[in-house]
Amino acid sequence: MVKLSEVERTATFVWSHDSLPLLATGSAAGAVDLDFSASSKLEIWDILSSKLTKEPIVSAALDTKFHALAWSKKYADHTNGMLVGALENSIVQFWDAKKLIDGSSLDAASIYIGKNHSGPVKAVQFSPTEDHVLATAGAKGEIFIWDTNKIDHPIAPGKAMTPMEDITCLSWNNSVSHVFASAGTTGYTSIWDLRAQKEVLHLNYTSPTGRCNLSVVSWHPSESTKLVTASDTDGAPYILSWNLRNPREPEKILTGHKKGVLSLDWCPQDDELLLSSGKDNSTYLWDPKEGTKIGEYPTTANWVFETRFAPSLPEIFATASFDGKVVVQTLQDTSPPVSSKVSTSSNPEEFWNQLSETDTQQPEFAVKKAPKWLKRPTSVSFGFGGKIVHVTQPNKDEAKSTISITKFVSDTNVEDAANSLTA
Amino acid sequence: MVTIGNAHDDLIHDAVLDYYGKRLATCSSDKTIKIFEVEGETHKLVDTLRGHDGPVWQVSWAHPKFGVILASCSYDGKVLIWKEENGSWSSIAEHAIHQASVNSVSWAPHEYGPILLCSSSDGKISVVEFKENGTLTPIVIQAHAIGCNAASWAPASSVSLQQNERRFVSGGCDNLVKIWKYDELKNTYIEEYVLEAHSDWVRDVAWSPSLLTKSYIASASQDRTVYIWTKDDKATTWEKKLLKDDKFPDVCWRASWSLSGNILAISGGDNKVTLWKESLQGKWELAGEVDQ
Repeated sequence: MVKLSEVERTATFVWSHDSLPLLATGSAAGAVDLDFSASSKLEIWDILSSKLTKEPIVSAALDTKFHALAWSKKYADHTNGMLVGALENSIVQFWDAKKLIDGSSLDAASIYIGKNHSGPVKAVQFSPTEDHVLATAGAKGEIFIWDTNKIDHPIAPGKAMTPMEDITCLSWNNSVSHVFASAGTTGYTSIWDLRAQKEVLHLNYTSPTGRCNLSVVSWHPSESTKLVTASDTDGAPYILSWNLRNPREPEKILTGHKKGVLSLDWCPQDDELLLSSGKDNSTYLWDPKEGTKIGEYPTTANWVFETRFAPSLPEIFATASFDGKVVVQTLQDTSPPVSSKVSTSSNPEEFWNQLSETDTQQPEFAVKKAPKWLKRPTSVSFGFGGKIVHVTQPNKDEAKSTISITKFVSDTNVEDAANSLTA
Repeated sequence: MVTIGNAHDDLIHDAVLDYYGKRLATCSSDKTIKIFEVEGETHKLVDTLRGHDGPVWQVSWAHPKFGVILASCSYDGKVLIWKEENGSWSSIAEHAIHQASVNSVSWAPHEYGPILLCSSSDGKISVVEFKENGTLTPIVIQAHAIGCNAASWAPASSVSLQQNERRFVSGGCDNLVKIWKYDELKNTYIEEYVLEAHSDWVRDVAWSPSLLTKSYIASASQDRTVYIWTKDDKATTWEKKLLKDDKFPDVCWRASWSLSGNILAISGGDNKVTLWKESLQGKWELAGEVDQ
């Protein structure tokens, strides 16, 4: 991990979809700041730009706090997308992000105020397949599906199998547009099919150490029948991977958290990377396919209640914790331990400056596993005499490459007449 | 044609011939580097170099005047220097200042001495000089906000050597291409131009080795386009031109110029290499294809 930036807020957050993403934060509901202020803020940060400012580019005060935030892709005339807040006062509020960034007030940038929920709204997520569709959920098992083209007519997803309590987590299927999952305090994860207009599956699990409260859920980035759920129960803090072809039992159980898990995020660009965070103040990186832990990030002083990859820049992720921080960091850190890091300076003043700036805790990371987006599948290079060396991956599903050396002989063709042989 | 299959246990990310075209170095996600002797239509595995803790992304041969020397860079954040003596290979130096994956490595024009250019996912570029006494003196610059994927040296000309005018180009995850120029007084590289055109990550950059009065740079991108950037010696701006108007069928991963600089090879995610040549009218035309 290379810590890139830190925002001193107890806040829920969301990334924009830009290639250099912005981060939006909203004061977290159910948490008290150091100054016991009840005020709430919606803020936008340009933390990855080269400008070293620590100030938000947008900061606006509200009279209610946030349970969750969502940020749409560019959509219609919303060139920076829509920001949607799931608010404590039961409102779902839509803002135009561009107007906020350009300096409009919250009121002027407001697109719509949804008052359909009867209790606090606790989760919100845009559909990954239909840019104009989103789901919200909250107290008393209420779920609404919104189409921003007819924003004043949200619909309920249909009939639940059994009455539900608070829903705190939503996850859309990444390939089947009418399927999503919800989870919360009821104890199980529900799979919904909007076409069938009902809840079609319940996932629950009792471990040897106790019943798991499957309160967190995240779908596989591409395979529509696979998902992971996690339990916020301290006695059974497991992450379970499921294939819905057999929903009676999880495929893999990922153990490592010492207390309940509060957040999961499956990397959209690499299905072998999954982030989790929880009540043990830890953030871990997993290979859910193998069921192994491949990274540990610096622990915080309190619960880490949210962790998310930047959707267009998965090298980077953020975590939010109840010690009043949103930390932006990178997946990998190969830098040497702290002691050798500071000893490179001979100036004593610099030594103490560096020491105070450096985190004393180093993360552990098995650097052996590289993310998919760094793996070049092909290469070409010219050599002496017009020789061309070409590397290809003949089969995309197989980690095997072939090298060929050909000779560029004229402007129009490449010599390929000679014999070939295989090693 | 020489075909080498199953050389490594995992994906191969780079394969480069040495100065004489006699030896081939390959590197892979299996963490190893292999050296082959290539003679006519035959090839023979000479050695397997182990030392990296992660996938090895790129290799670069030093000019033969420095000996038989190879540099390699890896996801483990390290650059290793390998040397062959009396037929056996060993690692002779390690450059480990980057905090993340080192994605590209290339030796400077030999006139500058043994100097390496490395780009990393930590957003930094390092230029490392290997001194006679075995020490390394790296110059580290913050280059691209969130990760640098490639960097390539400008060729050394008699003018650039006289004036000690060293330049390189870099490409990053911020979709930008940047030109850097050596500042002798500050002993660092200064950002000279920022070139904007791509809408997604720049995967590779290649500065043409040709010594015309015009400089040529190719940038290949995740956005399935390749831009050719040109600048006359006297001009103050870089001109951009799409290599081809419509998009390539897949991600453009690598760009490589022929040694004379008049042919450009582009390798894409569709497993094809296309070869390009500039016509007298200044238009880029397809000059061939390598298909497997």
